[in-house]
Amino acid sequence: MIEIKHKAYLFDATRCIDCRACMVACSVENSIPMDKTRIWVAGVGVKGEFPNLDRATMVYHCMHCEHPDCMSACPVGAYHKRDDGPVIYNPDVCIGCRYCMNACPFGVPHFDYDKGIIAGAFIDKCTFCPQRVDNGLEPACVATCPTDALEYGEREDMIKAAHARIAAHPERYIDHVYGEFENGGTSYLILSHVPFSELGLPAIPEKPVNEVSEKVMEMTIPFAIGWGAVLTAITAGVAIYDKKKESQKPAELDEKVEAPK
Amino acid sequence: MKLNLTVHPRFRIGILPMILLALMGIAFVIAMIRYTYGIGPITDLSNSYPWGFWISFDLFTGVAISSGGFLMAGTVYILRIKEFQPLLRPSVLTAFLGYIMVAVALLVDLGHPERIWYMMIHMNGTSVLLEIGICVMSYLTVLAIEFAPVVFEGIKWQKFAHLIHKFIMPFVILGVVLSTLHQSSLGSLLLIQPTKLHPLWWTPFLPIMFFTSAITIGLGMIILESSLSSRYFQRGLEVHLLEKLAKVIPIVLAVYAFLKFGELAWAGELGYLFTSGVMSVLFWAEILIGVVTPFILFSIKKVRQSANGLLTGAVILLLGMILNRFNVSWFAVKHPDPLFYLPSFMSNVHYFPTLPEVLVSVGIFSAGIMAFGLVAKYLPVFENEEHSHETVVTPTPAIGD
Ligand code: SF4
Ligand code: SF4
Repeated sequence: MIEIKHKAYLFDATRCIDCRACMVACSVENSIPMDKTRIWVAGVGVKGEFPNLDRATMVYHCMHCEHPDCMSACPVGAYHKRDDGPVIYNPDVCIGCRYCMNACPFGVPHFDYDKGIIAGAFIDKCTFCPQRVDNGLEPACVATCPTDALEYGEREDMIKAAHARIAAHPERYIDHVYGEFENGGTSYLILSHVPFSELGLPAIPEKPVNEVSEKVMEMTIPFAIGWGAVLTAITAGVAIYDKKKESQKPAELDEKVEAPK
Repeated sequence: MKLNLTVHPRFRIGILPMILLALMGIAFVIAMIRYTYGIGPITDLSNSYPWGFWISFDLFTGVAISSGGFLMAGTVYILRIKEFQPLLRPSVLTAFLGYIMVAVALLVDLGHPERIWYMMIHMNGTSVLLEIGICVMSYLTVLAIEFAPVVFEGIKWQKFAHLIHKFIMPFVILGVVLSTLHQSSLGSLLLIQPTKLHPLWWTPFLPIMFFTSAITIGLGMIILESSLSSRYFQRGLEVHLLEKLAKVIPIVLAVYAFLKFGELAWAGELGYLFTSGVMSVLFWAEILIGVVTPFILFSIKKVRQSANGLLTGAVILLLGMILNRFNVSWFAVKHPDPLFYLPSFMSNVHYFPTLPEVLVSVGIFSAGIMAFGLVAKYLPVFENEEHSHETVVTPTPAIGD
């Protein structure tokens, strides 16, 4: 495993009280209109029998993958993974094809379906608040969280802290840090006391989702050149063969359908 | 050839052109609404289902049914099997119009159609969609060049027609390479969805599957379009040629079936064939309609030699193969289930195309048919028109001189 040295979030579902302050903070910080959001706070609902009631909450946004599939898929390279972690989006080149939405295994990027070409329909997603991070601040959601359910720091430290927390309370946590390996690692790490599927997180293999398609793409140009060469050879071969045949049987030439000149 | 405006009275005030025009008008109005108010109001597309009917029908099906162009160009120019010459021009025309239709449909589907050329200046080498975009744009140019001699002959600029004929070979080769690339990379488009596309369809060999099936679709389309246009224009049908094409179809289908089931066995996924509910049914439907039935039909000599048999076989084959394209790009794709709590704009877990959405595609398709009819009427697309009433099987004279 290559060591990944940059920042990451850690979310602890056991600490989240579903106050949704992070949603508000995010919308204010990034000027998101009222009917949209980059964060979804998800309540799983009440489970169990009284008095052993339980409910879980998940804060869902871009995972800032180490091998972002959105970035791999975008034909015009509107996405960029910064060295310090964030996966950011550049609306100035986006053509609105929505392939990134198909590619992202977490279903994160979303699109302005309600805008025409004059208003401009763009993709939107969490940016990891580079404008704050670059000035030494924490992302808005982390800074706002009243229970420290969201934390921010070096990815290594966050993973260590997560495992330490599991070790300290094995009865409370599921023994897995979601995002440590999923999709080749993400910069959003999640601890939970209920199965991750109940939080709405998809089961993603450890190999990055874009692995096969990137390998195929690498073969494209060599294949094109090779195939072009083969076709040229065939063309020349058939042409020479045809000529020979024609010169050998001059009598039949009249019947033969002529080649376009 | 000369401009001949009187031969085909059936096309003059037919009811068909009127219907086509009306459908085009409706599509145009819907497209204007879409450009003004966005994609949301007229479609069922959502953040969960970013791609729908337009992509499955206009892109996936549209590109596949246009593959006859490169097949015929390759056969006639590269392999020099000159007897297929009569099928060359109609196939190239179908391909040309097909790709124009794809491009027009994409201009409706893209969020920023005015930026489509950004693909040429901001290239992301890992993106399959970029490869498709570039290939389709270049191939459209190649097709224009391949079709140009017909136009020049039509307006009697024989010199230009000759000139293009002289230098056509590099373009033909380029056209075949580009077609191979993007026919297969339509399959690669789904490679990035191993967690979303059902394992019956997701395989690293998707590009090869797509290319193989595109060949059968291309052959089927040539048969279909020759049959239909021979009926409509009351010209002769080249049954002896179509029979030869139909003979190839079972071979390609066998290869395709071998690849499909071989891959499933290799990946140890044969179990899904019976255990995946609706998905298994869709898979078998696709195999039975698109592979097994046409394989049987086209293996029978009698079917291959009758005009009706050819048409029936081609229609069944195309239906099955188009179902395959819909399966891969829509029915078998499961996006992560957005949780029940998600805000309403995110929570459309189901997708079903709306009427306006379908009408846009129908309108574009009508325009394609209309254009085919007009071009075939005024330009020398079908070569043996003069002989058509005398005999069905006409040895074709060379064109271009
Ligand atoms: S979660 Fe999705 S949008 Fe975010 S970086 Fe990963 S692939 Fe891209
Ligand atoms: S919608 Fe925009 S950001 Fe997403 S893949 Fe297309 S061009 Fe890239």
